[in-house]
Amino acid sequence: MSASETSPLEAWTALQAEAQQRERQRATGHPIQITVGLASCGIAAGGMETQAAFAEAIATQGLPAELRTVGCCGHCYAEPVVIIDHPQSGFPALFYHEVNPGKVHMLVRNFLLGGDPCLEHVMGAMEANDLLPAVNDFARFGLEKRIVMERCGRIDPASIAAYLADGGYGALASALALSPAEIVARITAAGLRGRGGAGYPTGEKWRLAASQSATERHLICNADEGDPGAYMDRTLIESNPHQLIEGMLIAAYAVGASRAKIYIRAEYPLAVSTLEVALAQARQHGLLGDAILGSHFGIEIEIFQGSGAFVCGEETALIRSMEGFRGTPRHRPPYPSVSGLFDAPTVINNVKTLSIVPPIIAKGADWFRGIGTAESPGTAIFSVVGDVTHPGLVEIPMGVTLRHLIFDVCGGIPDQKHFKAAQIGGPSGGCLNETFLDTPIDFDTLAEAGAMMGSGGLVVMNAESCMVDVARFFLEFTQKESCGKCAFCRIGTHHLLTCLEALTKGKAEAGALELLQTLSEDICNGSLCGLGKTAPNPVLTSLRHFAEDYRAHLEQQRCPGLTCRPLIAHYIDLEKCARGCDACVGVCPVAAVFTTSTRKKGIDIDLCIQCGECIAACPPQYDAVRVVSPPALAPRVERPQTDPPKNAEEG
Amino acid sequence: MLMEMGLDREEIAALATIRSELKEIPAQRRYLIPLLQRVQQALSYLPQAAIQLVAQHLHLSPSEVYGVATFYNQFRFTPPGRHPVRVCMGTACHVKGGDIILEHFERKLEIKEGETTPDREFSIERVACVGCCALAPVALMGDALHGHMMTGKVEGLILRVQIEKEKARREMGDRDER
Amino acid sequence: MVELIVDGHRMTVPPGQQLLAACLAEGIYIPHLCHLEEAPRPAAACRLCFVEIAGVPAPQPACTIRVASALKVRTDTPAVRRLQRMALRLLLSAHHIDCRRCHANRACALQSIARFLKVGLHPKPLMAIARPDEVDRHHPFIDHYPRRCVLCGRCVRTCRNGNDHPQFSFTGRGIDTVVRHYASNLALDKRCSECRRCVAACPVGALQWRREGAGASESVD
Ligand SMILES: Cc1cc2nc3c(=O)[nH]c(=O)nc-3n(C[C@H](O)[C@H](O)[C@H](O)COP(=O)(O)O)c2cc1C
Ligand code: SF4
Ligand code: SF4
Ligand code: SF4
Ligand code: SF4
Ligand code: FES
Ligand code: FES
Ligand code: FES
Repeated sequence: MSASETSPLEAWTALQAEAQQRERQRATGHPIQITVGLASCGIAAGGMETQAAFAEAIATQGLPAELRTVGCCGHCYAEPVVIIDHPQSGFPALFYHEVNPGKVHMLVRNFLLGGDPCLEHVMGAMEANDLLPAVNDFARFGLEKRIVMERCGRIDPASIAAYLADGGYGALASALALSPAEIVARITAAGLRGRGGAGYPTGEKWRLAASQSATERHLICNADEGDPGAYMDRTLIESNPHQLIEGMLIAAYAVGASRAKIYIRAEYPLAVSTLEVALAQARQHGLLGDAILGSHFGIEIEIFQGSGAFVCGEETALIRSMEGFRGTPRHRPPYPSVSGLFDAPTVINNVKTLSIVPPIIAKGADWFRGIGTAESPGTAIFSVVGDVTHPGLVEIPMGVTLRHLIFDVCGGIPDQKHFKAAQIGGPSGGCLNETFLDTPIDFDTLAEAGAMMGSGGLVVMNAESCMVDVARFFLEFTQKESCGKCAFCRIGTHHLLTCLEALTKGKAEAGALELLQTLSEDICNGSLCGLGKTAPNPVLTSLRHFAEDYRAHLEQQRCPGLTCRPLIAHYIDLEKCARGCDACVGVCPVAAVFTTSTRKKGIDIDLCIQCGECIAACPPQYDAVRVVSPPALAPRVERPQTDPPKNAEEG
Repeated sequence: MLMEMGLDREEIAALATIRSELKEIPAQRRYLIPLLQRVQQALSYLPQAAIQLVAQHLHLSPSEVYGVATFYNQFRFTPPGRHPVRVCMGTACHVKGGDIILEHFERKLEIKEGETTPDREFSIERVACVGCCALAPVALMGDALHGHMMTGKVEGLILRVQIEKEKARREMGDRDER
Repeated sequence: MVELIVDGHRMTVPPGQQLLAACLAEGIYIPHLCHLEEAPRPAAACRLCFVEIAGVPAPQPACTIRVASALKVRTDTPAVRRLQRMALRLLLSAHHIDCRRCHANRACALQSIARFLKVGLHPKPLMAIARPDEVDRHHPFIDHYPRRCVLCGRCVRTCRNGNDHPQFSFTGRGIDTVVRHYASNLALDKRCSECRRCVAACPVGALQWRREGAGASESVD
């Protein structure tokens, strides 16, 4: 294709009309639409079996239904999720949760064939109606503000027609009618800050790269996502790859890049294949390659698979690894925008940053500024996990409080337990206590609290959690992922970890907390790259906000959160244990439960590994298993000679 | 050939295929990691012969190639088990007791994380978040993901593989007898 | 030329000059291990060469500063010394101290830096970290002592600069990083027997030309 007389906008309008036509045809042929969520988490929850069961039913019973797949709708707690749109039944489109093959058969029989929607399995309706509550009235749906994830879970990620018909690539068409400088100005005016962690102004980054005199410039999308508790970048790619591609094309045009790459973890096979399909479709539609949408602008996007090193999310390390070296960071400056991949100016942006670009171009800088806070406009995506009722991916405006996010949007903490802490931002983030519940969250407030937006991981913890253990967990991660180049991070994190491990075993020596504090400060100040500079944050914040947890471990060998296994003991309250009940015996992985002389149960302290399975197994009406710390508090019940320990294999 | 010492017949064949494919790939350092990924996909690990081959093709010293490969979690230098067990040690899974699941695999298979059973049937690895935190704790057996793990499920998963194997062996035996 | 004031001492240097090199040339000592004069970009790995620059809030490694305009520098502030001492203590905690049996004894940068910073060779509250084997003989005639190595990378970079095929490479990651020679190749080994620059580049006693190895090198010829 060569640059022709038609404008990009006209070319796109034609593409969209064709796509809408195709979408309409598809829908009219099939009065029933069945949609299954098949992002990684849906697949993990058994979504493939659900889909196969529907496919089989449609084939064998000749149902006039079309089976579609979408990505993640954000409600990962309800997977596998299915939406059935069966207008003839008189019901609006219905959202079903936890649909296993058994439920599929029931739904096919009762609803698709019989017209009874099995309301007891319905979570809600997809739109407002008189019969049923609509899902959008649920806090978890209604309180979100989706701009990046707006189409996730709504359109088929494998279909470019679905994206085009929904207005996709329209922003690219209007961007191509602007000059690159105008686009940079618009992004700057929108106040967009990078979603990769540090919140660096995107417009500024683009301007710097564009202003370098160079024959070649690169654009790299950072999809390395190594935080051990966050998965939104992967979900975005699996659910709506075209929005990222569109954002990359606009960015490449704006900075004058001649090459574009996506650096994505090889551990994300589904995301990689989704992207490959999407790139091929874009190429077929003249949206990639030479003369995009008939304009003078052309570019290719290539995929580079990262080999699993957290530090390669750091931009200089990422570049080294693409050049074929060990992914060790380099001193900045020079910043990649000045000298990056193969020493050419290189813009590196996160998946979310690039995916926000199309809506900003389409709706304008003022619209974007209208969401969020003055200094951090727009939304934040959190992957909320841990002790919350509705975990999953949540997109909310910046500036919302933690309380609102945890208690209103995510349904609060289950089992009537109390909030103890929130860990925000993964390995470089921090642990916040309840005094932060009413602080609005944005880039700057989190930085003041010693945490970080980071990747957007948010772990909610109830009173039965141990902050020393949380710090130990993150340090174990960062010290394993340290690239090993500089002394502070390589050796310093190792000492931090050793010290935290000693605390969680009740073996720390006097002065341990002071050592943690000074060493942490020095690692922050002395390390070469962001990994080392932020690695001590979980330690520093937990020391600051949960000092009593540390002191209990150090001075009393006691774990207040009943988490550190060397410091706790399980025992069975003989008052409560029901004579003859055997519920806890079979579940114990090491056969530590024995029968006492009174035909109640006891736990062999020497065998018990403190796994807690017996607590879960003990019937709630007895609730006889107790946990205490320090272990010496557990009453010792002797195993009768007549019941010698069984081999665990037989248990 | 000296280089192929210690490889079995299949591995030598796979290496030969890769050698013939190499012509397509320019001898530029930026192809180092994609090339290592290609080799590992074919052989499931990186034997010394493969490292030498890659080094030769890209005009790098074997030390340099080995240095790059050992930096990344993805690459392994010993063959994995036929049923690699991967236990998620991400944040959500940690909070929900992923370490207990890992330990129980170690106890039941009598190997440590990073090791392979002597019969090369199982190996255990820890992985960071596999992206299904709502199902924590999570473990993978081969490519199949199992959520809401409990120690009892660990035993069930291992048992299932062993039963399959036993069944396959009996069928083989039946066929041999006939 | 640009004017620098280092610890009150006035000097002029060409613009673009590296601050660490400029100070060292003037006889102002700043502890350093990974600095390599001819390297195009600093490794900035040892984290010892910190200095404070007027107007910059935190100490910066002097090897990463290219002098562009007049600077006022201090090399001995409390913040600088605190970081340097911690960096050295950390390095020593992962170092097997056995100077009497080490060929680098008295010519070792660790010893002189420890003396300069007034840090004992056995750092207190940090426990010693066990590192791999005593001596690694993978290379045909150069011995490597991983427990003495401070991972400054001078050997790897010197070899890469002088020779496109570095015979030593970092392997592993994080605390398990070790310098290693992986597999030999006759043509390259021959070059090593003539070069030996990596051994000379090592600031401590972690690389040694193997005495009996001299014979081996001749047999390769
Ligand atoms: C240790 C470390 C890990 C990082 N990991 C990621 C990552 O997984 N994804 C990402 O987008 N940015 C990551 N970053 C931030 C990047 O270096 C870089 O700032 C970001 O990709 C820039 O994109 P943005 O401007 O869109 O935020 C990481 C930084 C550090 C120091
Ligand atoms: S801070 Fe850590 S990850 Fe960063 S360069 Fe230093 S050792 Fe490597
Ligand atoms: S805590 Fe676990 S190991 Fe201990 S008795 Fe209960 S089930 Fe058995
Ligand atoms: S390298 Fe230096 S400090 Fe270490 S043992 Fe040898 S002489 Fe002593
Ligand atoms: S062997 Fe010597 S030169 Fe090489 S990294 Fe170790 S200490 Fe530095
Ligand atoms: S991946 Fe399915 S709802 Fe999150
Ligand atoms: S932490 Fe295990 S799946 Fe995310
Ligand atoms: S000499 Fe500057 S950090 Fe090593």
